[in-house]
Amino acid sequence: MVSIFARCLGSPRVLVALTMVLVIAGCAIFADYLAPHDPGEQNLLSILTPPIWQIGADPNYPLGTDSLGRDVLSRLIYGARTALLVAFFASLGAMVLGTILGHLSGYFGGAVDWVIGRAVDVWMSFPPVILSLILMVGLGIGLRNVIVAIVLVDWTRFCRVLRSEVLVVTRNDYVAAARLLGFTHWQTIVREVLPATLPLLITLVSLEMAIAVVVEAILSFVGLGVGANQPAWGQMIADARQYVYQSPWNLLLPIFSIFLTVTAFNLLGDGLRRTLDVRIVEMAR
Amino acid sequence: MIVTVATLIARRLLAAIPILLIVSALLFCVLRALPVDPAAMSLPPNATIAEIEAKRSEMGLDRPLPEQYAIWLRGALHGDFGQSIQFRRDAGSLVASTLPVTIQLALAAMVIAAVLGFGGGLLLFSLRDTLFEPVVDVISIVLLSIPEFLWALILLFVFGVVLRVLPFTGEVAPGLPLPRVTGFLLIDSLLVGRIDIFASACLHLILPAVALGLAFSPTIMRVLRSSLFDVYHEDYIAQARLRGLTERQILIGHAFKNAVLPTLTLAGVQFGILFSGTLLVEVICSYPGMGNLMVDAVRNADLPLIQAIGLTYCIVVLLINTTVDSLYVVLNPKLRIR
Repeated sequence: MVSIFARCLGSPRVLVALTMVLVIAGCAIFADYLAPHDPGEQNLLSILTPPIWQIGADPNYPLGTDSLGRDVLSRLIYGARTALLVAFFASLGAMVLGTILGHLSGYFGGAVDWVIGRAVDVWMSFPPVILSLILMVGLGIGLRNVIVAIVLVDWTRFCRVLRSEVLVVTRNDYVAAARLLGFTHWQTIVREVLPATLPLLITLVSLEMAIAVVVEAILSFVGLGVGANQPAWGQMIADARQYVYQSPWNLLLPIFSIFLTVTAFNLLGDGLRRTLDVRIVEMAR
Repeated sequence: MIVTVATLIARRLLAAIPILLIVSALLFCVLRALPVDPAAMSLPPNATIAEIEAKRSEMGLDRPLPEQYAIWLRGALHGDFGQSIQFRRDAGSLVASTLPVTIQLALAAMVIAAVLGFGGGLLLFSLRDTLFEPVVDVISIVLLSIPEFLWALILLFVFGVVLRVLPFTGEVAPGLPLPRVTGFLLIDSLLVGRIDIFASACLHLILPAVALGLAFSPTIMRVLRSSLFDVYHEDYIAQARLRGLTERQILIGHAFKNAVLPTLTLAGVQFGILFSGTLLVEVICSYPGMGNLMVDAVRNADLPLIQAIGLTYCIVVLLINTTVDSLYVVLNPKLRIR
């Protein structure tokens, strides 16, 4: 286990990606200390001020203000908190649900596999964006509901990939040996099958976090995300789009934040995939 | 052979019917769980309780859920998706008028994605084992990290706002008439002989289509490259090299042909995802397609319209996947043998 960690950290890709993720996570965790202003605090006397490197900037607002005079830097930092909260809990939830169903499906086969397989088919025939929009209409806006919607949409990604991995793992002699030793099905899955699928799982979670960040941004952009009182990058983009001629930076900065976060998770996933060397198909995306 | 393919498509389509039924039932249940009352919404605000109750029973909202679903399904099978609450028009006809716009956009985007994807994949592969490899590799991951709606915003900003070379709102320049024959503007404008409308429509299509194409090409690129790598381990590549073919001849004439198959399957799957990706791009570019209508309907809790559009998206994606599956059999002789 230790050697695997060392190998992962030895890959420059993983190292760079991990640093990026940690910096963004740091912003999210310590937002209260890092943000110079309250993200919701309005100052209608200085709206749409440019960032510090442009003429007419207010040193109080290093990255400028938005159309309601709110500090863009603080909103970006708190937006990171929203994005990462969603990324973390949504991918965790999707992983738990998808992993359990994928293991059951691949391990038991037969009727269990058939039922879960058909459920996946039905789910996959819904385009993800459409399904998440419809779910958000049903659930209503809010941070918790965004997470629930992403879990309900994306569990199939884990389920499909893990099912085929479990199918392969279950054929190994040591799994049969565990059964012969008197392990229950439950013990066999948890102690013998799950550890073998773990590297694949870690890679998938990393890629799923990237997807969750994008979905959260999309939902917030459309106005069906975490709600107006919580800063989110997608929301900032939607606001800034109306004032793109006056203050283009308000549009570019949240775009850049999303891009950076998604790249970090994708790079991490790709690096882990290479170092852990698992048979992961490109189709998983 | 055509017969086998036809039966194959027919069989796949039949298999899709139960899936569609379950999908429509799920859609129905999720939307009925909403805390909104479509009856109250479709009446003026000064309606009395009795009027709302009358409307509720007229719309069938007082019946049990399975019965409501049966009524809706019977209507849907006859092409009647109910009245849109906000537009006070038949939801089916609203979908029918916006669907061609979205299909046109998705097709244009797919062509761009395929050209960029195949070109980029060949380029990536030919740079293997060179100093550039890690560089282009990281670039392709970075490109993979830009979803279509960010591309749309970036392109809109660069070409629409800063350079002002491309229009970025609507389907044609304001003031031009919209001829409607088939619903596909590019075809219709030519049918009525208006080159100016055709040119304007093409210009307006560039930004959203390129944004979508750019977002979906990296996946095609990476899969083509990795299947080229697989193919290069085959004996026939070594044999071709022994015959004295140039690397270029081997790549194009032997490797590419065989590597294209898995890539095409993936491109098909991608096309299904790309089709739903039009939603955000349409909203950003104010392109009057089904995605824009969907977001409009969602914001106004227009249940009949959401249901109609949601189901249409599913049908189109299922159709695309079925066609791709069948095409795969046509193209891969190994699968034709029983």
